[in-house]
Amino acid sequence: MKELTYVLIFLPFIASLICFFKIPSQVRSFMILTTGCILIVSSLLLIPYVPFAFTPQTLFGLGVHDLIRVPDFILMFAILYFGFKHRSLLIIVPAVLQIVLVIWFEIIISSGMIEGQQIFRSVTQAFYCDNLSLIMVLIISIIGSIICFQAIPYMKNHEEHMKLSTSKQPRFFFVMLFFLGVMNGLVLSNDMIVIHFFLAATTLCSFLLIGHDGNKEAIRNSVRALWMNNLGCLAFTVAMMIYHNLGSTDVQQIIRTPPGGGLSFLALALLCFASFTKSAQFPMQSWLIGAMVAPTPVSALLHSSTMVKVGVYLVLRLAPAMHGSFLSQCIALFGAFTFLAAAGLAVGQSNGKKVLAYSTISNLGLIFACAGLNTPESITAAILLIIFHAITKALLFLCVGTIEQHIESRDIEDMRGLYSKMPLTALITVMGVVMMIMPPFGLLLGKWMAMEAAARNIFVIVLAAIGSALTAMYWARWAGTLMSDPFAGKFKLEKQPVVTWAALLSLCAGAGILSIAVPWLYTGLFTPSMSLNYVPPYTLNDGVLENSYGVFAALPLCLIAVMGFLQSILAVRGATKARICAPYLSGIQTAEPRVFVGPMNQLVKAEAGNYYLSNIFGEKKLTIWINLAAGVLLTLIVGGAL
Amino acid sequence: MTTSQGIIMILAGLASGPLLGGLIAGLDRILTARFQSRIGPPLFQPFYDVIKLFGKEKMVVNVWQAFCANAYLTAASISVVLFFLRSDLLLILFIQAVGAVFLVVGAFSSTSPYSQAGAHRELLQILCYEPLLIFVVVGIYLLTGSFKIASVYAWNQPVLLKLPFMFVVLSFVLTIKLRKSPFDLSTSHHAHQELVKGLLTDYSGSFLALTEIAHWYETVLVLGLCSLFWTTNPIGAILLVGLTYFLEIWIDNVSARLNWRWMLGYGWAMGMSLSLVNLVWLYAR
Repeated sequence: MKELTYVLIFLPFIASLICFFKIPSQVRSFMILTTGCILIVSSLLLIPYVPFAFTPQTLFGLGVHDLIRVPDFILMFAILYFGFKHRSLLIIVPAVLQIVLVIWFEIIISSGMIEGQQIFRSVTQAFYCDNLSLIMVLIISIIGSIICFQAIPYMKNHEEHMKLSTSKQPRFFFVMLFFLGVMNGLVLSNDMIVIHFFLAATTLCSFLLIGHDGNKEAIRNSVRALWMNNLGCLAFTVAMMIYHNLGSTDVQQIIRTPPGGGLSFLALALLCFASFTKSAQFPMQSWLIGAMVAPTPVSALLHSSTMVKVGVYLVLRLAPAMHGSFLSQCIALFGAFTFLAAAGLAVGQSNGKKVLAYSTISNLGLIFACAGLNTPESITAAILLIIFHAITKALLFLCVGTIEQHIESRDIEDMRGLYSKMPLTALITVMGVVMMIMPPFGLLLGKWMAMEAAARNIFVIVLAAIGSALTAMYWARWAGTLMSDPFAGKFKLEKQPVVTWAALLSLCAGAGILSIAVPWLYTGLFTPSMSLNYVPPYTLNDGVLENSYGVFAALPLCLIAVMGFLQSILAVRGATKARICAPYLSGIQTAEPRVFVGPMNQLVKAEAGNYYLSNIFGEKKLTIWINLAAGVLLTLIVGGAL
Repeated sequence: MTTSQGIIMILAGLASGPLLGGLIAGLDRILTARFQSRIGPPLFQPFYDVIKLFGKEKMVVNVWQAFCANAYLTAASISVVLFFLRSDLLLILFIQAVGAVFLVVGAFSSTSPYSQAGAHRELLQILCYEPLLIFVVVGIYLLTGSFKIASVYAWNQPVLLKLPFMFVVLSFVLTIKLRKSPFDLSTSHHAHQELVKGLLTDYSGSFLALTEIAHWYETVLVLGLCSLFWTTNPIGAILLVGLTYFLEIWIDNVSARLNWRWMLGYGWAMGMSLSLVNLVWLYAR
């Protein structure tokens, strides 16, 4: 498994370096495809070895810590460089602080080494992989690779559309693949110093990707992403130093020692703050919303399998240390609040990508709430939500990207009746929406578990119940708009590159099959080796998940859903033989289904638009209050720890 | 529950929608007529209507209406079957929501402005009642310690005594779900709809019949939820449900339709404050 770990982390680095050089685009595409396939296979091969932990004596002739020391500084100076380049004090100050802190830190460590105390040896395992890490590795390697595959045709189109004289694809794929390696490294490392390096790397990667198109808006939004995430990195650095002072930067040791005293709680709170910035929780949501200016594969990668999942991963990792604490309760409240607030903002949006972005923030909020509730049930819910959210959100982003290149708009109103223009893409998108909100799909199973786990916490359940209704509203509206078309015309498949179809269909089928496979997934992955102190809370009988107070008939419902689906599809086939009539317009119909003969024999075109309720849920109206409330909650989290 | 009991319950659940639901609809129409000094249709009129609809020529605006009508019926019937199997309340709510959403998507698939506006209003209605239903279920959980309906039946006194406000909230939801005034925004049983037939405008023939049967299932489900508030005695349950339903018809006949702002404002303000009071009371115990 050592070899597999190295492949998962270092292969993307090597491949990305090759991509960076000007090589023929066919060779590059081939490189990306093979790298992706090797990543997928290696991540699957890793399954039987879990859980494992190991420390290589030397890696390329150096200790792990020595190996990352120089790149760590290079990264921090690179961030500082971009800070100066874009003249942003918000980047420069935290970056300088971070560099100073890390230098100081290195001096402490090396002095410790000289005195022979060997403090650094207190990190027993450099690499650690339990089921939580494994799930993250699988998500990153499989979904990340699929997104990279789809990026090949997308970027070709994208650059043709932008009429670039020199292709920027080498840099683009360099960062994309690098990102995958960094993410795998992050979830497999056990030493906070190493994690800090990878965290800084994700920050820089997302900055480069968001600013990829190089226009004014892209630059502005990428700078915002950099300063916000850099602030998170600074918080992480401080937490790392506190932990070093307390004895160990070994994550497994940290969560095994119950926090005693304010200092360790402060460190935990700082780590949570770092996670919130990475996962774009309020009030740091604007970087993720701004990230949608990037090419769509970037959004897909950031939203589904990388970056934002770092935050929830870290908090879930640390959850055992916070068990039963006030901090944990605050996180639950904060997460539930974000779930509701982001869902509200999504209702007010007609921009498809913004709806997706807010829904990501909202779902991450729910995952944080689950992590904060900190019971086996809620942790199970959180991990299910991570898995299914990653697949479904990647699918939806790729769909929107495909639609956008076709109709040159990302506005939901422009997608009205998309079914007649791009039937299969529209259907896959609707399928994605259905998998976001409906049983028996995994995401709803997660939500069900989350709600039952939250029922004892009155604030969390109230926020979650309202948020859940808002969520159903904005998704149903979107799905309906896609299908809104008076024609029952024959199914004429639109033209798309094979890779695009493969990516969309594999993600769609993957989410469906995994939902059916939930019972097996549960027995296979949700074992005590999920994370520390985790006990599988549900018993499984005939595919029915049950605990003392709830029962979810996962498998039977899937079977009924499949039968219901087939029966409804048959009904559709029957309906194609039915007489097609024009929609009712309360006037004399004309040959054109949207036009009727009105008063004075004038032709009137009937039009309807969606409700976005922007005077209630508008971004301008709500954001400031939500940020304020989130700020107060955040102060409670960090201040409460002191 | 043994297997044979389970099968009986599944069959009873499946039959309850078309039979019990239809009868309730017939009774409803007679009572409404008497309120308005009319004699009203025969008791079985809803059945005749549905049978007649099935005999009509199939017409669709968009073939996916057929899908949505079928999915609505499937989801509604499964939620009732799960109720009869005494399953998880939250799960039942989620499945009921699937049906509601498919009905809306089907309405969206027609470009008729009546249908579209009706669909949006229906979404607002869902937005209004969905959290309230979850609060009711959470209230039951806090009292009995379980989301399973079986545990409500195992409870040794009527839930109503401990969850009186929750029952008020539930009857509020009932008004919306039964499409009664003042909350018959998206579509209505009566011919006083500025949206023609709202979200049902472009459903026709057998597809309209399917939505009607699905609506009967939903009626049975919501009345079933009401009956959970008095489980110790079947006569008590019937009295409670009958009285509530009578009250609904009365409210329907004495009130005018409100717009969605009122519904959302009143629904959430009243529903949530009553729920919170009741929930806090349970927590404090």
